[in-house]
Amino acid sequence: MASLGELERAVMERLWAADGPVAATWLRDELADRGLALTTVHTVLSRLEQKGFVVHDEARPRRFSARASREDHAAQAMREVLGQAADRQAVLARFVGAVDADEARMLRDLLAAAGADDAAQG
Amino acid sequence: MLPITAALLAVLAALLAWPVPALLARARWPGRDPLVALLCWQAIGLAGGLSIIGALLVHGLAPWGHSLPEAVWAVLHGRAATGAVRGDHWVTLTLAGVLAFELVGVLLLSWARIARTRRRHRALLELVVQPAPEPDARLLEHPAPVAFCIPGARPLLVLSSGMVAELDGEQLAAVVAHERAHLGEHHHLLLLPFVAWKAALPVLPAAERAHGAVRELVEMRADDVALGSLHGSAPRRTLAAAIVTAAGGAGGVPAGALAVAGAGVRARVVRLLEPADPLPPAARASALAAAVLLLLVPTVLLLLPAL
Repeated sequence: MASLGELERAVMERLWAADGPVAATWLRDELADRGLALTTVHTVLSRLEQKGFVVHDEARPRRFSARASREDHAAQAMREVLGQAADRQAVLARFVGAVDADEARMLRDLLAAAGADDAAQG
Repeated sequence: MLPITAALLAVLAALLAWPVPALLARARWPGRDPLVALLCWQAIGLAGGLSIIGALLVHGLAPWGHSLPEAVWAVLHGRAATGAVRGDHWVTLTLAGVLAFELVGVLLLSWARIARTRRRHRALLELVVQPAPEPDARLLEHPAPVAFCIPGARPLLVLSSGMVAELDGEQLAAVVAHERAHLGEHHHLLLLPFVAWKAALPVLPAAERAHGAVRELVEMRADDVALGSLHGSAPRRTLAAAIVTAAGGAGGVPAGALAVAGAGVRARVVRLLEPADPLPPAARASALAAAVLLLLVPTVLLLLPAL
C-alpha cells in the first residue's frame, strides 16, 4: 500500500505532465498500475488542494491542474525555505549561507594559500 | 530585609544576563571544542532563567518559610505567612510568575511556529525532490549550490542540483556528512532555547549574541563530526573547499535573512585549514565542571534554607 505522500507525488507528476486541466477519472486511468479507487484519487487531490498546490475549475466533471509548473514549484520551495521571508530558525541546518563577492574571493584565496603551503611541505 | 539567597541569585542572574555570555561569545577556545562550548551555552541559558525566576520567588515567598521548598509547601497547604507580607513580596511574586510564563510560553510558541514552518517546507519539497547520489539525501532541481536539512520525525536532507554539479564526489560526501551531523545530534534542539530567549527578551543584547554564537558553534560541531566520517586523503581541505564553493556560488538564491555574515564562514574555513590544537583535557574538564557548577549553584541556593 503506497503512502499518501507517495500518491501525492504521483498525482502531481501526472498533472505536471498533462497538457491542461484533467478530470479525476483521467488521473485514475493514468495511475491504473496502482489500482486506485476514484475516491482515493479525490482524497489525494483534495489534500493537494488544501496545501495550495492544485486548483480545479467549475466544469462538470471538475478538472484539476497544478497551480504552478514544476520549475515554479521548485523555485517557490527554494524561496520559502531559504529566501528573504524565510524563518531563520526553521532552517538552521543550511550547509553554508551565501557571502558577497569580495568575501567569496577572499575565501578562495585562503583555500589557494593553504594548498600552496601543502605543496611546499609535500 | 532581603534574604541573602535572593540577593545571591539576583547577582548570578545579572552575571548570566550580560558579562558571562559576552565573555564566552568573545572567547577563542570555543572554536577548538565546539561541543563543550555548546554545553556551556546550554548551562548559561538554563542557569540564567533559573536564577532570575528563583531570586524573585525566594524573596516573594520569604514570609511563608525559611527555604523555598518550605515556603511552597506552606502556601500549597494554605498556611498563613509567618512574617509580614509587604507590597514588594507581591510585586516580586507577580514578576516571577510573568517571567516564568513568558519564558515557557515563548519556548512553546517558538516550537509550534517552527514545527508548522517545517511541515510546510516538507510538503513543498516532497513533491519535487528526486533521489540523490547519496542514499539518504534528496535532489532539488535548482542551479544555486545549496544544501540543507529539515529536522523532525521524518528528516529531509536536500541537495540542489547546482551543488551536485559544482562539487566532486568527496566534497559532496563532506556536505552530506555535515548535514547528517546536524540531524544526528539534534542541533535544532540546542538552538531552540536561544531562539526563544531572543524572542522573549529582545532588549537583551546578550540574547542576540548568545543565539549568534550557538548558531556558529553548531556549524563548527557539524564540521568536526563530518570530518570523522570522511575517508579521502585530506578531509579538512575537502570540506573547506566545499564550503568555499557553496558560499561563493550562490547565484540565483535570493540573498535573504540566511545570507550569513562572512566572518562566520571565514572562521569555519580557517579552522579547517589551520586547525588549532584541541583543548587540553584539563581545560576541557574545567569547562565542563564550570557548566555543571553553573547549574548546581542556583539549584542548591533554591533548595537549601535561605541565608
